Amino acid sequence: MKKIFYIFLLLLSYFIQGQSKYITKTGLISFEASVPSFEEVTARNNAVTAIINTQNGEFASLALVNGFRFKNALMEEHFNENYAESSEFPKTTFKGKIIEFSLKSNEYKIEGDLTFHGKTKSLKNIPIKLEIIDNEIIMSGNFEVKTSDFEVKIPKIVANKVSELVKVNFLFKLIKK
Amino acid sequence: MKKWKLITLAIIIFAFIGFNYVFKDHRNINKEAPEFKLNAEDLTTEFQINPEKSETKYLNKTISVSGVISEIDKSGVTISNQVFCVFDDKAKLEIKHNQNINIKGRFIGYDDLLEIIKLDQCSIINN
Repeated sequence: MKKIFYIFLLLLSYFIQGQSKYITKTGLISFEASVPSFEEVTARNNAVTAIINTQNGEFASLALVNGFRFKNALMEEHFNENYAESSEFPKTTFKGKIIEFSLKSNEYKIEGDLTFHGKTKSLKNIPIKLEIIDNEIIMSGNFEVKTSDFEVKIPKIVANKVSELVKVNFLFKLIKK
Repeated sequence: MKKWKLITLAIIIFAFIGFNYVFKDHRNINKEAPEFKLNAEDLTTEFQINPEKSETKYLNKTISVSGVISEIDKSGVTISNQVFCVFDDKAKLEIKHNQNINIKGRFIGYDDLLEIIKLDQCSIINN
């Protein structure tokens, strides 16, 4: 009887472990650094990878900088060449943890390290929303960062057209793997 | 009088060039010829050997990759479990699992979380 119990426990642990990761390859991140009454400075990337480990609430995300698309082709070129320097720093990542993660509530806070342009900044208490539907977790939220946190220099000539404060939105539909 | 005409003409030409520079079109990956033609396995092997060097080699270039469809997502397909291709408009495509396919797209980078290669603005090449 004891043996069966242990086998059951082993199977259960395997079961839990096997189902603890939720993944997406097509997450959406958009950012905006517009200044009112000037041309909008906004871009979106719809091929962002994100992983949640539901056992401990660990979260990781990776976006390829070249995947950010602007409406204006010249703006996209300048973003890649002068601001993000995407040939030197092709990735932007976030690694962190959802605080008091339980799968029971819909609102959490997340903290972790955001790396962009080769510089890392710690983010704390970013509110996120989680919707859990069967095999899917929909995670969304937004936060603000400063260009100076990542040593992104805005040339004086366009300084009044590009905001120092960048609004970032994210939306991930993660599927159980 | 002739001088004024020349100046006006020059202004119009510069305005036209300037306008085209500021509002130039996006690259049309669909119309570009691929700089590299590979199959998914060979490309993946290159990244397993040296991910950083390979990334620099292909970054922002148009490449074509052939292989078998292993996964279909809402906005893209995965070839041979290793190369993820995002289409601007996937709705029109008629594709199925395990089908052999040749895809052209822009290499946007190597995702070391999932160890996959990502392409965007993809299109299917008909042989």
